[in-house]
Amino acid sequence: MTTLHVLSHSPFSDTRLSSCLRVLGTDDALLLTGDAVYALQPQSSPLKALEEKSATLKLFVLEEDLLARHIDCPQWATAVDYPAFVELSIHYDKVNSWL
Amino acid sequence: MKFAIALYSAAHAPSSRRALRFAEAALASGHEIVRLFFYQDGVHSASSNVVTPQDEQDIAQQWAAFVSQHQLDGVVCIAAALRRGVLNEDEAARYERPAVNLQAPWELSGLGQLHDAIQSADRLICFGGP
Amino acid sequence: MAKSLLIISRQAPWSGPGAKEALDLVLAGGAFDLPIALMFMDDGVFQLVPGQNAAALQQKNLQANLQALSMFGVDDVFACGHSLAERGISPAHLAVDDVHALSTDEVRALIDRFDQVITL
Repeated sequence: MTTLHVLSHSPFSDTRLSSCLRVLGTDDALLLTGDAVYALQPQSSPLKALEEKSATLKLFVLEEDLLARHIDCPQWATAVDYPAFVELSIHYDKVNSWL
Repeated sequence: MKFAIALYSAAHAPSSRRALRFAEAALASGHEIVRLFFYQDGVHSASSNVVTPQDEQDIAQQWAAFVSQHQLDGVVCIAAALRRGVLNEDEAARYERPAVNLQAPWELSGLGQLHDAIQSADRLICFGGP
Repeated sequence: MAKSLLIISRQAPWSGPGAKEALDLVLAGGAFDLPIALMFMDDGVFQLVPGQNAAALQQKNLQANLQALSMFGVDDVFACGHSLAERGISPAHLAVDDVHALSTDEVRALIDRFDQVITL
């Protein structure tokens, strides 16, 4: 089964991103929402950690959270709106939000 | 697709608004919401006593309107609600508390309702944290 | 056939109602005879440390709830080995019997095989 993992905590103050990346399966995807989009902050170590996996990581980002924070979506990730978020939750077999 | 949506954060948390926007998009795309279940701090998202400044989004009010408009099953975990001081008329009377801050369309019930929703739905999605 | 549910408990025992509320969710599922498993991860593994004293914080002891797991038919209880090791907790001396410590690969496989997961 494939899992869409969803994060909403900032990676700078929290261990959810590193724990999630450790257990992410090869067919799983990751959706960054809320403060988790700070993981895409340029020249940051969370961004480097994600870039290192960019060849195989299916990374999605909630667009409104990027816009609010003035952070760009890397070309190897996909920004999504709510209808696309709904579609993602269906495309993957289950959704695991790191509450 | 049938969705069970569980919310674990209060109305002022960005994740509560995010859950509502997701729920709206799910219905707009033609999907069904089997149940909304509010657990942990999510019980505060069902409060009828939240007051927001006029120039801010009143997410608690929007949740109540959403559930009423679409006649959805909006359930608030009773144990989590009591612990956090979110009481409907029956519970306020039972525990002799001075205020009622949970009203229709919300129902208080147990965790069995969340498990039932998970069993009935095709997808469970949880929202919480910031 | 009933959908299986994995609950991942990540909260430390004395940081608020989170740890107990995760357990309540597991016990409720067990009471309804649903296929439920529980895994402790990150600070959640602190719930498994022996010799804790809830009374020191005027809190209720979670041990009774943890011991009730098998009574409620929840026999699949796991702990993330990486989280235990990070915190210097030995998997051989946990406060709860029959907790299986898992490698990262096993954690990945566990998450993969359940129909639904709640990480709280």
